[in-house]
Amino acid sequence: MLVSFLAVSTARADDSADQTAPTTTAPVAMGAEAAEQASSTGERISFVNDVVPVLTKSGCNAGVCHAKAGNGQNGFQLSLLGFEPQEDYEHLVKEGRGRRLFPGVPERSLLLMKATGQMPHGGGRRLAVDSAGYQTLLNWIRQGTPSDLATAPALASLEVQPGSGTVLKGAEQKLTAIAHYADGTKKDVTHLALFESNDKAMAEVTDVGLVKTSDIPGKVAIMVRFQGRITVFNASIPLGAAVKQLPEPANFIDELVFRNLKELGIPNSPVCDDSVFIRRVSLDIAGRLPAPEETRNFLASTAPDKREQLIDTLLKTPDYADYFANKWTALLKNRRDDASDITSNFAFHAWVRDSLLSNKPYDLMVRELLAATGTVIANPPVAWYKRVKEPKQQLEDVAQLFLGVRMQCAQCHHHPFERWSQDDYYSLSAFFSQVGRKPTSTRGEDMIFHKRGVATATNIKTGVALRPAALGDVIPEIAPDEDPRLKLADWMGSKSNPFFARAFVNRYWKHFFQRGLIEPEDDIRDSNPPSNPELLAALESHFISGGFDMKNLVREITRSKAYQLSSVPNEHNLVDRQNYSRFYPRRMQAEVLLDSIDSVTGASTDFANLPQGTRAIALPDNSYNNASPFLRVFGRPQNESVCECERTQSSSLAQSLHLMNAGDVKAKLAVANGRAEQYAKSELPIEDRVRDLYLITFSRQPSESELQTAVSYLSEPVLNADGNPVDPQQSLRENFQDLIWALVNTKEFLFNH
Amino acid sequence: MSRFLLGLSAFILLSSHWSTASAQSVGLPAPRLLTTWPMGGAIGSQVEITVTGENIGDAGELIFSTEMIKAAPKLDAEGKPEKNRYVVSIAAECPAGIYEARMMTPLGISSSRVFSAGALPEILQKGPNTTPATAMEIPVNTVCNAAMSVKSIDHFVFEGKKSQRYLIDCAAKRVDSKLDAVLIVADSVGRDLLVDRQGKTLDFTAPEDGRYIIKVHELTYKGGPEYFYRLTVQELAAEVPLPKFASTRSVSSASWPPAGIPEQAVLAEQEPNNTSAMVQKIDLPCDLSGSFFPAADVDIFEFTGKKGDVWWIEIGSERLGRPTDPAVLVQRVVGEGAEQKLVDLAEFSDIPSPMKPSSNGYAYDGPPYDAGSPDVMGKIEIPEDGQYRLQVTDLFGGTRNDPSNIYRLVVRQAAPDFAVVAWGLHMELRNGDRNALSKPIALRSGASMALEVVAVRRDGFNGDIELRMDQLPDGVTATGLKIPAGQNRGIMVITADQHAPQGYRNAGFTATALINGQEVQRPCHMAAMVWPVPDAWSEIPVPRLVADVPVSVTGTDPAPISIAANEKKVWEVRAGEKLTIPLIHTRNSEFSGASMQLKAFGYGFEHLPPFDVSLTADASEAVIDLGALKTGPGDYVIAFYGSAVAKYRDKPEDNPRDIVDIVVTEPVSIRVMPTEAK
Repeated sequence: MLVSFLAVSTARADDSADQTAPTTTAPVAMGAEAAEQASSTGERISFVNDVVPVLTKSGCNAGVCHAKAGNGQNGFQLSLLGFEPQEDYEHLVKEGRGRRLFPGVPERSLLLMKATGQMPHGGGRRLAVDSAGYQTLLNWIRQGTPSDLATAPALASLEVQPGSGTVLKGAEQKLTAIAHYADGTKKDVTHLALFESNDKAMAEVTDVGLVKTSDIPGKVAIMVRFQGRITVFNASIPLGAAVKQLPEPANFIDELVFRNLKELGIPNSPVCDDSVFIRRVSLDIAGRLPAPEETRNFLASTAPDKREQLIDTLLKTPDYADYFANKWTALLKNRRDDASDITSNFAFHAWVRDSLLSNKPYDLMVRELLAATGTVIANPPVAWYKRVKEPKQQLEDVAQLFLGVRMQCAQCHHHPFERWSQDDYYSLSAFFSQVGRKPTSTRGEDMIFHKRGVATATNIKTGVALRPAALGDVIPEIAPDEDPRLKLADWMGSKSNPFFARAFVNRYWKHFFQRGLIEPEDDIRDSNPPSNPELLAALESHFISGGFDMKNLVREITRSKAYQLSSVPNEHNLVDRQNYSRFYPRRMQAEVLLDSIDSVTGASTDFANLPQGTRAIALPDNSYNNASPFLRVFGRPQNESVCECERTQSSSLAQSLHLMNAGDVKAKLAVANGRAEQYAKSELPIEDRVRDLYLITFSRQPSESELQTAVSYLSEPVLNADGNPVDPQQSLRENFQDLIWALVNTKEFLFNH
Repeated sequence: MSRFLLGLSAFILLSSHWSTASAQSVGLPAPRLLTTWPMGGAIGSQVEITVTGENIGDAGELIFSTEMIKAAPKLDAEGKPEKNRYVVSIAAECPAGIYEARMMTPLGISSSRVFSAGALPEILQKGPNTTPATAMEIPVNTVCNAAMSVKSIDHFVFEGKKSQRYLIDCAAKRVDSKLDAVLIVADSVGRDLLVDRQGKTLDFTAPEDGRYIIKVHELTYKGGPEYFYRLTVQELAAEVPLPKFASTRSVSSASWPPAGIPEQAVLAEQEPNNTSAMVQKIDLPCDLSGSFFPAADVDIFEFTGKKGDVWWIEIGSERLGRPTDPAVLVQRVVGEGAEQKLVDLAEFSDIPSPMKPSSNGYAYDGPPYDAGSPDVMGKIEIPEDGQYRLQVTDLFGGTRNDPSNIYRLVVRQAAPDFAVVAWGLHMELRNGDRNALSKPIALRSGASMALEVVAVRRDGFNGDIELRMDQLPDGVTATGLKIPAGQNRGIMVITADQHAPQGYRNAGFTATALINGQEVQRPCHMAAMVWPVPDAWSEIPVPRLVADVPVSVTGTDPAPISIAANEKKVWEVRAGEKLTIPLIHTRNSEFSGASMQLKAFGYGFEHLPPFDVSLTADASEAVIDLGALKTGPGDYVIAFYGSAVAKYRDKPEDNPRDIVDIVVTEPVSIRVMPTEAK
């Protein structure tokens, strides 16, 4: 298909004028064919800039192949993604008595024979004999395997052309990757670069940089990698429909969401009705269904700002603190591994909950956690150091959870998708190097204190002891008396920090909209741009200027019309999955669903060591999963990871079967003095009882047909085993149990919509 | 390892659940007062008290550590004493505070329980009050005595006046309760307004007129009679500092304060003193109070030092009951202006425990009491004339903003001194059972009990410390096995003779030493476990200091075995020779096993190889090879100890049960004479 390129802005516009400048390495326009030609004409092949990229492009030095930790594959070791050309040269040319290369008959070199599948190769055929890559390797061997390790110009930057643009649905866009070297030269490296889409459902990209879009509108990024450098092509895929009925914006969120919808031509769904809103916002802020009385009052209210009033009321309830404490304690690994953990787990959970209830500023809360000292009882955030013991664990968790940066890769090698090096990794780890521990009388539990000394961490590769540095930012020298963790907290909470607030607002945005502006929410990197960068920046700015006020952010999000759009799609926006043209329904999470079923059935779940009536969203740790098949089936996390993905939000057959048949659900339906029994004994008109049940379950009145169907069913006699009608009240009770069972099994109940 | 230990270890290793594995009980039955209900009363009032306990018998005397609180049995309508019920009279002049309550029982004096006397009227919890709807009314300016139920939240309600300040306090851990209290003030429908989970007092100002709910629960929702608390709701004038409530003291606080310092420090810290540019000038010696506030507070003091001067630095903070970990850095100021540098001279943090404390793991391998402290005690020698800086920080204070985390800094010239603290010696064994650690001094007739005494030495004092106990009950003697120079541990052996009558007396327990030619006497504090804990795996034993040292004799239950030298005399022996001491056994019980192993304690004889003595014979002997021990000439007091499994009968008609306990012999005096000239 013809390239549909409507607008282009290059990533390095200032370099565009140089595109035709002469180069010493290769011409800018050199593609695969040109490379082959250049090679065959005897032009000198660079090991660093030609050979290693071929190995990378072919996947030879991937982590699962010859760059596998330990000894590579079958004794042939390459550095990961060619980050260490010096080592690669040694391994290729000198190791194994030079058996991998055969300068006498270059074509018979083991390297080429295996890579082309002419000899058995566990990794299969990686190169075609007629490919440019093959020619590059062959010519390099022919030239006597020259080394230019000391002289090869360093790669200064990588550019993709175009840098961004609009690509129509179902269209194609060809990308060109250009390497800029430190000596001022540049080269077309499209045939050597690696391309990857951040959303394959929206756009796929071929090995040679040809982007093919699907029919899903929105923003998609194509990451281009070459020799440790990364650049991104940002594509905008419009739907192209007319957007005519946008609601009046309530705040900056609406302005930016709606602007994006207009740009992409995605018509929005209308604002939801009050019944949907009270249910949605109660579930999202307080983790519970609205009480019938709350619903009645809200629906009856004529106050123009009643939605804002409801949001404020919900934010003041302990339910808000319980619900978000449940979220945070899972991410902070409040995990019961031993019975003696109970005190620290309860104390830690309580600290998180109290912090949320009092609306402690987020930066202060994180500071108290990061730099916690003392005992768990006197200072509960110390409990985090019980779960996360080693500095590398600490830095990785802090980076992923609070900064949205995944640093794990950089422990052993340069991060392949990011700019983070091993030095960055160990410099960040150095903040935790002065964490001192003293044993306590509780086994496995330490007192944490600041151990005086100069904070350093040693890069295991270079052996260099590194002072604390924070992801690209220089931190002034930290005196031995100063706890480096406080400096890290200072840096994180500074208004100019590019990660801290962004990671938080993106995480909370996802909580309310199901999809983060960046996905996954804890993988923020240059190569994974937000779907609405202006909105993310505005949220970030709002959060920082508001003093890291968590409730205020929740208030701003939930009062936006964008949040209040109906989940019912229109004829255009069903395909929209990232632009928030409608509310994306999602299944209630395990704890909320269990509580909701308790609310509807009038039952309660008894949890060990907790007072009767404690709700599942208030459970302090993961230990309750063991005794609750319900919580396990519906994916309550075991608090082992800082990733929200540990919580299973997908639906499964086991979940359906559990809701339909499991003993615990049946017991709740039939619980003594439960909802069914109360309705059966009630003297209210049967229609009123059905209306009440619908209000509790769906926060709305039943439609006329629903009402008639329900009343009709409730009137049916229940027969015993002998075929005789049972006592009318028992019959009615059983019918109510059936009706509740049916309602609980509807998507309308199971989903927040 | 003794045969007993080997046997016990093997038994335990074969068990899959060690905590309840042993069929043997640890420690002979000891009387323990567990609860009083209520836990205190108003000054000048009479209170009806019900007690519970272990091995307290049918009728016992209820005794307090002050004469101003007295108890009489509660009589029923027929004038007969009601079981375990008393009428307690608290004199009008009794100072508000906490006191020790104990029972005198047929088995001797019981362990202690805190009893509070206060100025406010007191009421009792009426339950159940576990929901907002059933919240119990608590009048303002009242103390409510209450106990937590399992998996419950107790609710109380009071009438609040707009803008009125209220003190809401839940005394629990500090009055011996097992309750880790969570205290919440909520609005009238139970929505939390103010929460404390660290045992602090809530300082609450009512935002509106109306009813306020107070919720109390245990951190992990445990409950039972041992989870008692005293809830106070009291009006407080604006600007008045929160009153300090009485509390039991940690074992570490036995070494605080240093002798001779006034109750209030002479100087106060003056902020800002946090940076090199802002230091507080002081002159040495100094006695200064400060606080680790705000978070990450650094207090820097500068003084002029003279070459050769020696200064001792001490900080009290944790020993004042604060959850802190003070640290001191002393630096010399070198150069001036832009050239100025600070050169480290000394760093101090913890005061080490005089003995390695036992872990709380599987094995009991040392004293379960830690007399050390996170506080600071150290010495500096001034190397050059010049300016010096003393920097005080709290290693636990990085993020905590609590002005009540105070400290006292004392810098003085050497004032050599010591503090001592003692506790009932427990056998070493591999068993989670810490029940016997809760050990009152209740002597069976013929029994000897050992107290382990440790010294925290101050300002370089390194001499002998003699131990002395007096004001003992009839028939009881006490012999101190000194804390030798350079060491930190001694033993006090208390012995009831075979015919000692039942009784008790508050003993005097002191330690003396010659310091700079003067005899210095210090009180010896006693420490005890707050609760008997049968399974340390599931519950951490908590120790504290007790206010007094009551010594008692059962008079009814003889020791299973008494071992003493056949003569009460000073045993003389020449250095390098062997001494044989015949031992007489008085047995009142059968034992499991035919023999037990004895070791010695007492300076000069600690390395005596263990030797076996029969548990079936009436006599044995201790053979001491002075040559092997290389003990020099001098006077010594030693005792032998071991452990044995008695076939104990609670009543003569009962079947015997195996109880392992420590056995201590009567002390033996030995004079080692110089080797005879040849």
